[in-house]
Parts: sequence; C-alpha cells; structure tokens
Amino acid sequence: MVMTGLGATMARAGRRLLSSLPALFGVLVFTFLLMRVLPGDPAVFFASGPNAGKEEIEQIRKQMGLNKSVPEQLVFYLSDIGHGNLGRSMMTGQPVLKDLRERLPASLELTFTALLIALIAAVPLGVVAALRPGSVVDHGVRLFCALGVCVPTFVSGLLLIYVFYYLLGLAPDPTGRIDVFTSLPPQRTGFLSVDFLLAGDFDGWWAACKQLVLPAASMALFVIAPLARITRASMLVSLGSDFVRTARSVGLSWRKVVVTYALRNAILPVITIAGIVFSTMLGANVLVEKVFSWPGVASYALDALLSSDYAPVQGFVLLMASLFVLVNLVVDICYGIADPRVSIE
Amino acid sequence: MRFVSFRLATSVLATTALLLIANAPSQAQTRAETLRYVTGASVNTLDPNIPGSTRESFALSMSTYDRLVAFGRKQLNGKWVFDLGTITGELAESYDVSPDGLKLTFRLRKDAKFQDGSPVTAEDVKWSLDRCVTAPILGKAQLLTGSLTSADQFKVIDPLTIEVTLPKPDKLALPNLATVYPMIINSKLAKAHATPDDPWATAWLKEHTAGSGAYVVETFKPGEQVILKRDENWNRGSANKPAFFKRVIVQSVPEPATRANLVERGDADLVVDLQASDVQSLEAKGKLKVISTPQYNAITYVSMNNQMPPFDNVNVRRAIAYALPYDDMFKAALFGRGAPLFGVTWPDGKPLNGIYPFQQPVKMDLDKAREYLKAAGLPEGFSTTFSFNVGQSSTAEPMAALVKESLAKIGIKVDIQKLPDAQMSTQINEKKLPFFTEGIVAWLPSTDYFYRNFYTGNQRWNYSSINNPDLAAIAQEARFEPDKAKYEEAGRKLNAMHFDLMPQIMLWQPNQDAVMASSIEGYTYEFHRQVDYRDVSRK
Repeated sequence: MVMTGLGATMARAGRRLLSSLPALFGVLVFTFLLMRVLPGDPAVFFASGPNAGKEEIEQIRKQMGLNKSVPEQLVFYLSDIGHGNLGRSMMTGQPVLKDLRERLPASLELTFTALLIALIAAVPLGVVAALRPGSVVDHGVRLFCALGVCVPTFVSGLLLIYVFYYLLGLAPDPTGRIDVFTSLPPQRTGFLSVDFLLAGDFDGWWAACKQLVLPAASMALFVIAPLARITRASMLVSLGSDFVRTARSVGLSWRKVVVTYALRNAILPVITIAGIVFSTMLGANVLVEKVFSWPGVASYALDALLSSDYAPVQGFVLLMASLFVLVNLVVDICYGIADPRVSIE
Repeated sequence: MRFVSFRLATSVLATTALLLIANAPSQAQTRAETLRYVTGASVNTLDPNIPGSTRESFALSMSTYDRLVAFGRKQLNGKWVFDLGTITGELAESYDVSPDGLKLTFRLRKDAKFQDGSPVTAEDVKWSLDRCVTAPILGKAQLLTGSLTSADQFKVIDPLTIEVTLPKPDKLALPNLATVYPMIINSKLAKAHATPDDPWATAWLKEHTAGSGAYVVETFKPGEQVILKRDENWNRGSANKPAFFKRVIVQSVPEPATRANLVERGDADLVVDLQASDVQSLEAKGKLKVISTPQYNAITYVSMNNQMPPFDNVNVRRAIAYALPYDDMFKAALFGRGAPLFGVTWPDGKPLNGIYPFQQPVKMDLDKAREYLKAAGLPEGFSTTFSFNVGQSSTAEPMAALVKESLAKIGIKVDIQKLPDAQMSTQINEKKLPFFTEGIVAWLPSTDYFYRNFYTGNQRWNYSSINNPDLAAIAQEARFEPDKAKYEEAGRKLNAMHFDLMPQIMLWQPNQDAVMASSIEGYTYEFHRQVDYRDVSRK
C-alpha cells in the first residue's frame, strides 16, 4: 500500500520532470537572445583601463566569442551547456559554474533559514488569528503583517543593522556569511551551519548562525504576511467545517481538534504558497544580499546584468528555472504526504 | 523531551559564549597587526593585465608584485600624494638615463627574491617586460604611451643589469615602468604554466601570483575577499623593512552605508569609497581620521558631442558653459568635497599657466548664455538629453536635476537619461550621446598626455569627439619637447584653445575621501586611486 503510494508519487514526479524540459530549453534560448538584444556592449564596458582602446575591445569581444554571428554563438553556447560548461564570467574571471556552485549554497542557506523563521512565526500567528477572528489578537496579527509587507526588505535590513549592530553591538558586522577572522570548515555541503557541525567546530557554528540571523529575519519579515494570511483563511474554513464540529462534539481534546484535524487539513494551501514564496525569495533576495554583503547568486546576477556580462546572467536564469521546477516537484510530493487523496497529473 | 533538548541547547550556547570570551584577548592581538580594508568594488584577477580587471585588482597587484621603479611621494596641502617627479628604485637598486635620453639602464638589487625564494634576475625582468608589450593584455596600450612597444627594446646586459632603448627621448618612458602593468614576474614559474596557446601564462597568472611583492596571497575569493600575508623577506619599502601589517584583508561590502557603519564601529580600518554625505557626518563626529585629497589626476566633465548638432556650434557650447549652476552643482553632488575647475578670473584674458586641468574663467551668467544662444541662431533654445550612468547616480542625479532646471531658463529643454553602466560606455564609444557627464583618470598626468588622450582621435576617451588638427599637433609636439619653458608655452596655448573652443566643460576633481581608524598612519593618495597597503601602518 505504502509502496504503491510512494511509487505513484515518484512516477508522477518523473513525468513532471520530463514535461518541464522543453520549458527549460525555451528559457535557455530566450535568455540568450534577450541578453544580446539588450543595448550595452560588455566588451566596451570591460575594456575600461585608462588606456583601453579599440584593440582591447576587440580582444575582449574575441574572448567572449562575440565576434561570431548570433546563431553561431547560440550553437556554441548550447553545445557548451551540453558539456556542462556555462561559460566564464568577465566580472569575477571565474567559470560561471564554479561561481554558482560557491554562491548557491549561501543563497539557499539564507532562504531556507528565512523561510523556516517565517513559517515558525506565520503558522502560529495565522492559527491564533483564526481561533479568535475579529479579536484584538486578530487585528494585532493583521497590523504586524501589513507592516512587514509595507517595509521593503532593504529598509528593514538597514534598520536591523542600525539597531542590532550599530547601536546595540549585539550582532556581528553585516559582512557576509562568516566573520573574516574565523577559519572556514572543510567544505562538504556548502551550508556553513551544517559544515561547522560536521567539523565539530561549535564556535564556528555559532559565528555562522549569528551572521545568518539578521539577513534571514529581514527576509522573513517580508514573507510572514502572505503565509500568515493564508493560514488564517484556510484555518477559518477548516474550523467551520463538519469534521471539526464532529470532533468537538465527541469531546476530543482542544489540541487534537485544532492541530491534528483542523491544521492538517488547512495546511495544503500554505504549502503551495510556501513553495512559491521560496522560489521568489531566492531570486528576489538581491537587496538583502547587497545590504548584508551576502555572497549569494542573486547579487551576483544583478552585478552581471549591470555590466552586461552575458554568461553569468544566462547561468543564473537557467539555475533559477531548474530550481523552480524542482521546488514545484517538492511541493507536489508534499501534497501527496499531507493529503494522500491528491494525485495531480 | 522538548524541555531536555531546550536545556541542552542553552548549555551549548552558554559554553560557546564562554569559549568566545576566553578567545577574545588572543584575537585582539592579531587584530592590531591586521589591516581590514573594505570596498564596494572587488578584486577579479590576480594579474591586473587581464582585460576587464578592476581597480581593486590594480591595487592588489601593487602589493603582490614589485616593479623596476616606483613613484615617490610628496605633500600636497598637508596630505601625502604620489609624486610623478621622483622615481625611486623598487627592484632596481639604481638606474641611469643616458645624456641623449635614449637609454635607461637598471641595476637590480642583489638580495631581491621572489616569493618562492628564487632570486630576481634580469632574465625575469626581460620576460615580464616582453610579456607586457607583446601579449594581448592591458599593459600594451599603457606602455605605448611611453614609447615602449617592442621586445627588442629590452636587453639583458648581465644577470643583474637590464637596458631599455627608446626610439625618442620620451619623458613618460620611466614613469610608465612604475605603473601597474609592467610588474616583474617569476619567469621560470610562469613559463612552467604556459601552454602553446597561451605562451605568456595569462590564464595561470589570473589565478596565481608569481611575484616578489610585499604580500603573499593567502586566499582569493573573486568578488568576496582576498587575504594577504606579509612576506617577511621583502625589503623594498622605504626603510628596508617588511610591510607593517602582518595580514591584510580586502573585503567587498557593496552597501556604502554598511561600509560607513563598519569603519565607524572600528570593525574595519580603512575605506576610500564612502558616500560624500556619510564622509561628512563621520568627519563631524571627529572619532575617525578623514583624509580628503582632490584626485588631481581625475576630472569630472559635462561633455557635449562636438560633431552632433546643435553642439557642433561653438556658441551653443559656450552658452551651456555659462548656464550651468556650478556652485549649486558642486554642493549638491559632492557636498563641496573636491577641487573646483570653474570660476576664476583671467586678468589679461590668458591662461594663468600651462598645466592641465585648470580652472576655467566661467561662472553662471544667464544673460551671457542667452547672447551666445542668439549668436548660434537658436534664441528660442532647443531640446536635448542629458545622460549619466547608474553607477554614478549618487553624484550625477542631483547634478542632472540642476542642469535641467538651469538650462530651462534659457529655453533649452533637457530630458534626463539614466543608463546602465555598460550601455553608457557603449554609447560613448559609438559617439551617440549628445550631452552627458562622465569622468576620466590619467595615471601619468601631464598636460600633453591629457590633451593627446582625451581631446584627439575618434576613440572612446575623446568624450567631446573634438577633431581639431591644430590642437592635436601642438599636443603631439609637446610630448617630446625637452625644453621646460617651451613645454609650458605649448600648455598655455592648449589651455587657451580649450577655453575658446569649449569642447567640454571641466567641472571639478572629486575628493578621494579616505576614512580610517585614528590609529592608521601613512595613507597616501596613489595614481591608481586605491590604497597601497604597503603605505599604511598602525600607531
């Protein structure tokens, strides 16, 4: 029974993955063309030494493969991708794949932590608000959510830095994932908080966690609102339904009624929203990454875009598209676990 | 169960907190010997010769590699700046210039060693200079400005002597050897990593250093940070000692407000790229040391395309020059932090001297501007766009608004156009912008150099696209003029032509505001406009 359920989910996931391949290819070609249509010649931008002239510009053009026609470039690009080569960034001078591999864990760690903080805060807030609709608590939650959404992440980020770093001195300096004086653990997962634990270095772990708190909190503040509102709405529906009334009438404990019956049934839309929130956060946390000097993929892509550095932007979009596909897949699987009746084709 | 794990967590936290406190003193000691420098830019290559390398990469290479010679320093209004006039030996113990100025002979230090311990020889110097003029790298265009173009010009006399031959006695040949690009590379090490496709090992040197510089690269994370360790054997500093700081951390912090916070809290020691408003408030608080040096080799312009109507008419350009609200712009964009290049009077209508850049005798005078517009046949004014790049928006945005407001008063309608940096440089290169603001920098600031590079030829740095054969001829002739008085005369002529033709309007030389902990000493404004980590020390 369990096996078949799991097997069905996996088969469904596999089919989904296959059907997303054409979309990924489309994204690939589209970004490629878009970058070349945009005005701005990367060769001129990067040939910016005090004496760089025509010769240097041609040199860079050749180095970036821009001296060939666009269809030729596309063919080369696709064959490179086929060989797992995303090109080289002019900005950092490194292969894009290496840059992304180093930076993606930073973004993921930040986003996961932020999402975790947001969920831990939002679900209870939503439940509490739904239990007493119209009460002071409900209005309080609404006000908190409104504030969180109103304040852009970089403003809340700068505010948090000002209060906790500048005024109180509680937080470490907001410069990246780890204090510059701490030595790094051997890289295993790329997630510093995990790597430090694996290396048994608790000082380092604590230092990494301290760095993580402020940026994650400023990102979480922004996404608590949609999560809490959705939890509240779907809890209200769930609390008013027949099975909750029945459960109450047979005298089940409050905990069992609210958590086991009402919340479990209300959680589906929250998972959907969490998936979407996660994907948007990954791409949209560029401001937080900038404010906290976080070496993530989003700020990397923004810098590349400003300097018309084609390869990193294309690599980033491809990465985001693949992640989006993956997240949707995970959400599908979570559906199956939360509600075994679900079988979306 | 939950309570147990909670207790466990708190005890872990408490222990780590205790450990942190216990570790604090030992950390503080090394902290004093460490320079933490934060910047909005980043190092993207260890070889500054790679096309696309950033200014931070230039600065880094000054500490990781030595050159044959280096610039001395002098005091300008009480602040240390690099001195183009004194050139001292770095790897060269001494050097001679032949009486006809065609031969430069360098004798190398006997004790100079590369970071891998092998001695620095004339062969290494020859290989490095050959690389600079033959490989497809940035050094080529730079050394060209000093008549250094071919590998035949560098000759090994003996293992410690190298001779450089010039086709003409070029004043800029020697200073060119002190710039960023002609660094001396360990040729044996580099050759071991060269490939048939890449005989000058550019790919390998991008990621590795093979120099004899004051600092060894410990970790290099492009776009994030570089950590340098002192080379204890390096003795090319002024007092034959290694550099002061044992470690240097160069860290990228993109947000300027965060950089200001870091240096104010004492977590960072030195920063040179803060916003003018932050510098002003930090200076007012008086806790930190602020050294503001006008960037005397950099200029900010309002440029007009001299080939494009209506700016092809000299009277239109003059009208603009008298319609700009200079003082307000200077205050709004820079908070007055810089050296103005406007608003003097020329008593007899002639330039005060032959030095470029110079202060032009222009100030806002709308009546005069209207007269010039009338003379240009455009009494009703016209419409145009004024462009600037996103990277400079903190200074250019308030400036553009003032330009628009002021020009509206004489009937010129201005649309402000904010362009991403790559787009701006492309359009400038293609000569498509009619009216814009941009800046330039010259490593070797001499009058003829400025006029030759920024006022001649159909090339990117000729922002105003001016094409005046007389001006070009005078500048070209001045380049090889050995007589100081004649050179000065040529400079005066060029400056007078600049004011008369008004190809573009010089606004100011912005300050380099170096903000540092009060214990930091020895900061010097360098030609590459970044910090040379070898200059600074801690009290």
